[in-house]
Amino acid sequence: MRGPPARTGPVFRVKALSKTYRSGLLEVHALRCVDFEAAQGEFVVILGPSGSGKSTFLNIVGGLDRASSGEVWFKDHQLTAASEAELTRYRRDHVGFVFQFYNLVPSLTARENVQLVTEIAHNPMPVDDALALVGLSERRDHFPAQLSGGEQQRVAIARAIAKQPEVLLCDEPTGALDSRTGIRVLEALTEVNRAVGATTLVITHNAAIRDIADRVVRFADGRIAEESRNAARKTPAEVSW
Amino acid sequence: MVISPLRRKVLRDLRRLGAQALAIALVLAAGVATLILGNGALDALTETRARYYADSRFADVFADLTRAPIALIDEIELIDGVLQAEGRIVKVGLLDLPAMAEPGSVLFVSLPGEGGLNRLHLRRGRMPDPLSADEVVVSEGFADARGLGPGDRLPVLMNGQRRELRLTGTAFSPEFIYALGPGDIMPDPRRFGIVWMPRHGLESAFDLRGSVSSVVAKLVPGANEAAVIEKIDRLLAPYGGAGAEGREDQVSHAFLDAEIKQLGAMVKVLPPIFLLVAAMLVNMTLMRLVALEREQIGLLKAIGYGSRAIAMHYVEFVLAIALAGIAIGLVAGAWLGAGMAQMYARFFSFPFLVFSRDPQVYGLAAVVTLGAAVAGAVRAARSVVALPPAVAMTPPAPVAYRRNGGWLRRLLGLRQTGLMVARHLWRWPLRTGSSVLGIAMAVAILVASLWSFGSIEHMIHVTFGRSERHDAQIVFGDPLPASAAFDARTLPGVMVVEPFRAVTARLSHRNLSRKLTIIGKPPEPHLSRTVAPDLRPMAMPEAGLILSEALAEALDVRPGDLVEVEVLEGPRPVLVLPVSGLSVGYVGLSVAMDIGALNRIMREGAMISGVNLQLDPALQSDFYAAARETPRTGFVGVRELTVNRFRETLADNITIMVTVYVALAGIIAVGVVYNSARIALSEQGRELASLRVLGFTRSEVAGILYRELAAVVLIAQPLGWLIGYAIAQAMVAAFSSDLYRVSLVIGREVFAVASLAVLAAALVSAALIRGRINRLDMIEVLKTRE
Repeated sequence: MRGPPARTGPVFRVKALSKTYRSGLLEVHALRCVDFEAAQGEFVVILGPSGSGKSTFLNIVGGLDRASSGEVWFKDHQLTAASEAELTRYRRDHVGFVFQFYNLVPSLTARENVQLVTEIAHNPMPVDDALALVGLSERRDHFPAQLSGGEQQRVAIARAIAKQPEVLLCDEPTGALDSRTGIRVLEALTEVNRAVGATTLVITHNAAIRDIADRVVRFADGRIAEESRNAARKTPAEVSW
Repeated sequence: MVISPLRRKVLRDLRRLGAQALAIALVLAAGVATLILGNGALDALTETRARYYADSRFADVFADLTRAPIALIDEIELIDGVLQAEGRIVKVGLLDLPAMAEPGSVLFVSLPGEGGLNRLHLRRGRMPDPLSADEVVVSEGFADARGLGPGDRLPVLMNGQRRELRLTGTAFSPEFIYALGPGDIMPDPRRFGIVWMPRHGLESAFDLRGSVSSVVAKLVPGANEAAVIEKIDRLLAPYGGAGAEGREDQVSHAFLDAEIKQLGAMVKVLPPIFLLVAAMLVNMTLMRLVALEREQIGLLKAIGYGSRAIAMHYVEFVLAIALAGIAIGLVAGAWLGAGMAQMYARFFSFPFLVFSRDPQVYGLAAVVTLGAAVAGAVRAARSVVALPPAVAMTPPAPVAYRRNGGWLRRLLGLRQTGLMVARHLWRWPLRTGSSVLGIAMAVAILVASLWSFGSIEHMIHVTFGRSERHDAQIVFGDPLPASAAFDARTLPGVMVVEPFRAVTARLSHRNLSRKLTIIGKPPEPHLSRTVAPDLRPMAMPEAGLILSEALAEALDVRPGDLVEVEVLEGPRPVLVLPVSGLSVGYVGLSVAMDIGALNRIMREGAMISGVNLQLDPALQSDFYAAARETPRTGFVGVRELTVNRFRETLADNITIMVTVYVALAGIIAVGVVYNSARIALSEQGRELASLRVLGFTRSEVAGILYRELAAVVLIAQPLGWLIGYAIAQAMVAAFSSDLYRVSLVIGREVFAVASLAVLAAALVSAALIRGRINRLDMIEVLKTRE
């Protein structure tokens, strides 16, 4: 496992990022000229109402979607100029994803879901370590259908971090969970952020979560409306919602 | 007109699932087409034959004899049950066409009288003048093959005499729909034709003034045929009667019958396969559609639609597909049927072909197909009815998987993606089973059609390679003293001569009996050998008979049993002989014995009926010319020509059939694989898109789906081979008759070719689905629950 994060140089550099969808006759400006940077090991919470562009932003940064204009850099790779195959490579080698609906493979057990990723990763951590990190060692041989929502989300986190990614992107990871389970999941995320040193971007509706971040970014109407830095991070257990 | 919203949904679903619906419709169409084609052809043949027989007053009983006074016909007409009898002269002659090196023969038949039996159907020209001595009509097929027409001359050898006949026309006869020349096993109109001429011309040529050599009789409806035959035999016995036979033993009729029997087998085998596969596809696809539309079903129920109305909605979706399938099938069936009718017209000499577009057949095909489709929809419709609205509105519980077969996984060294494939297949055993069975059926259809090539080659190898090894055969008009073999030796090009004796007899065992020709051969025959089932040549036993397996089966005898032999010519001895051994044979029923023993039975001295010859290839045409000149020659058979014609005819017919079968199997394979792929993609699209998010490449993701399809296709192969083998066996049983016996020889290449063809179809389906895998929406899948 890596040592404590050394906060040098930005991992992400986003310049004048815009995204326009065409849905029918309507043109939707999902992102309008967004500038953003994230340092290595930073834990960023992204807030904003539905349709504010935060998911589109995360998808482009994660190599799932393409920008209409502007530049996105991951270290010295320009994602906005990358081919489809290069984006796949980028997701495979550098990014861990966690989603609201877990997106586990139902036919694989917790352990096997994690293995699915370690099998194609360059420098994975042992599967059991990843599950231990999210506190699921005893449940590792269960299928998704046999796990609670919180447990499934923790498997998803274990799957995301097992490859030891440089960035961890989470879209509403607690969206489908009650508060107690949500706290368990957030604890897993902060623990992973600390232990692996991955730059972590977490999208949420839930403003209460802001306190566990290094930095909070609020999206509105396709732009970054507000940015603030927390002097001291709270632990998830200290947060209430 | 207002279209109800549910009906509009049916139309939109059809458009959305267009390719899947089309695949199912095509499989249904194949079922409909084979049903119509098979039944249509079956009806066409049966109807045409029935109408033609009635129109031409085709006789019921046939008898050949040496010669009898024409007055005997009156006596035959007096037999109880005989409606009408007619005496004829029927004799074999030789073709003497200068442009034709290879020997050909003709059958001379005296013209039926006014109001007589087996009337001719004139195709071209006119009937011969009854008073003319050289005017003739010939069979249409022969005229066609030789480019002859009215006004042309036809040089022939009649009873050894050269004659030049004048064609006045061409005709068809119910007696020669399947016109098989002497010594042939396939009709060859180039080398064999029927020549009808006024009887007085034949009387003088064959020295049969006031006599007949053949009797045909029409029976009163409901007459006891066996009793009539017995009485006719008794009357004809003193005149060399070779035993009368009913229609079922008349060569042309028997071959037609065999064809009808084969068609009947095809109608029983093929359409059910397609309908079964289609029903399975409907079931698979509809179950998936209902699973996907669970919430919509819940909503419909919640707003007050009845379960029945909603279930009907899905049944309507299936009915729409079925109707499309039926429409395609009807058109294809009618089109293929017309093609098949043409094939029959080429092969069988009918003056007309009744290809009835029987609405009953079409209606039956439509009803059966709708039934199969609806049967496939039943399970899905039931699950719709059973779904309570509240449950339907909530998303389905995650699919529960179980761990099992850990040993198998370790054995195969499966990675996680492999495990996904295995568990997904295992989770829906019924559906996986249906897909496997569907593909297996495609393989089976191919195995069941492709094996015939190998079997025919085997049949040719045994018949002409192991058994009948002579280059040519001369059959004398009448038996000659054994010294005739020495005369044959002096013909140009003849290297080896082997005599044979042929005697018509009836063999009986208990209540079973068959009329056939006993062939007497030298003790160690060299050119015309009798071959044991293990393909070793057999020596002729001193006294007993060697029966072909087919004959032994027909008479229910085993080696060591005794059979009654009633010789039907010469002194007509009746005796009991032991069965000394069984031989293999595929064409007709055969029985062989030692030529010396046979001659002792006949008490006519050392006589021979003909000779088998080995020729110097360089002198072949010299031989043909000389053999034709020899007055005693009845006809000359040439092995090479017989084999070629056999191969040619079968190759033509089988190639057409196999092409049709391959297309049908392809439709099944593509239909099943494509539908399985679409369903798997719809079920696992979410997982696969998630994998793309995790960094799996498009090829890796496609690979998961493809491995699932590959597993299904591969598991299906051995099953398909097995089912195909079983179908082939059933076909062999259905095709076997006294005329033909088919040996089931399936080489490894048959299985290989069948599998390769189905794999190719599977690859096509895989390619069709690739675009959909590439377009998997990674973002959409993250935002929505299933």
